[in-house]
Amino acid sequence: MITEHTFSYVPGEHETEKASNSYLMSLVALIAGLPLPIINLLAAGMFYLGNRKGTYFVRWHCTQALLAQCSLLIMNSTGFWWSISIIFGDKAISSKYIAYLITAFLFNLVEFIATIYTAIHTRKGIHVEWWFYGGLTNLICKAE
Amino acid sequence: MKRVGLQLLLIVFLFCGTWFILSRVDWMSLLSVEKTSKKTEEKLGDFYWSVLKKTEIEIHSDSVVSVLDTLLNRICIKNGIKVATIKLHLVQKNEINAFALPNRHLVVYSGLINACENESELCGILGHEIAHMERNHIMKKLVKEVGLSALLSLTAGNAGSEIAKKTIRLLSSSAYDRKLETEADLLSADYLIKAGIDPESFANFLYRFGIESNHLPDQLSWISTHPDSEERAKEIVSYIKDKEIQKRPVLSNREWNLLKAIAVDVPEK
Repeated sequence: MITEHTFSYVPGEHETEKASNSYLMSLVALIAGLPLPIINLLAAGMFYLGNRKGTYFVRWHCTQALLAQCSLLIMNSTGFWWSISIIFGDKAISSKYIAYLITAFLFNLVEFIATIYTAIHTRKGIHVEWWFYGGLTNLICKAE
Repeated sequence: MKRVGLQLLLIVFLFCGTWFILSRVDWMSLLSVEKTSKKTEEKLGDFYWSVLKKTEIEIHSDSVVSVLDTLLNRICIKNGIKVATIKLHLVQKNEINAFALPNRHLVVYSGLINACENESELCGILGHEIAHMERNHIMKKLVKEVGLSALLSLTAGNAGSEIAKKTIRLLSSSAYDRKLETEADLLSADYLIKAGIDPESFANFLYRFGIESNHLPDQLSWISTHPDSEERAKEIVSYIKDKEIQKRPVLSNREWNLLKAIAVDVPEK
């Protein structure tokens, strides 16, 4: 799921710090914004916009963190609005709903652990690529 | 690009697969979800009725209650509804009102019986309230308007009687949203058709009091709190237009007259 690669250049100290912060940003936002998944995306998006003119290493990791948040947003928003329609609407609690919440929780947990792992390794200057998100980031983010 | 697309497909497959496998487990029984919500509803319904009982006079006269039971039995038995689970309370009050409380408490005011011209009109309203029970509209409305935490504190006995009275007022004097009201109206029409009772009378009741409520707002609680009565009457009429109804009377004239007479006679508190 997570692989370590050699980056095209050796990033400097200030770059690894900023790149690592992009993951920490999404992590803090994840904790703060659990009931409202859009907050995570907004936080990661704002950090991405702030660093889009940064070095390649920083941009690359900001993009990967942002993309990971996008899929979480879809998954968590579904769970959020499903819950709202149960509390305030006509929908009833079902085994399918509980199974969805557990699945969403498991995927969030995997993402949470992967984010911490990546933040630590990126801080050390190690380039970490996630399964799918790494490949997608390589397609989007190009070296200038 | 192809590899990334394949990986995306695999992630989606992994997510859906996990969800599918987990949804095979009967979480509702495993986590006792239904049991817990049933218990909360039971406590809440009994608590509300105990509060209401203190301020209202319940008519216990067997001759009257048994007549009302006959109507309820016809609707429930013909529609596969467990009649024994419904706790019918006939209350002496001039207000034209009937409402359902949690845990299947059905409160009918004598003023409503007095206002009905025939048994079919009364059955229509009973059917409407039963429909709210069957579709779990009552708990949904309470959670929506009062909030889950307030309800849980009520069942735990931590909330004051003032909150309890306010929520009773909410159930007895305000309507559900239009969608739920229409659902209850049409379901009531279905109940009546299966029971051999004319649903058009129910529509007539709504139509008649829909017009009169403009002049007598205080007494016609059931109508004034159920807005758009004329529209609802039209919806019922158009719903039953092509349905075949085999009408069979439920009560004899003597029984109906007895019900109406006692509904008028007993003094209010």
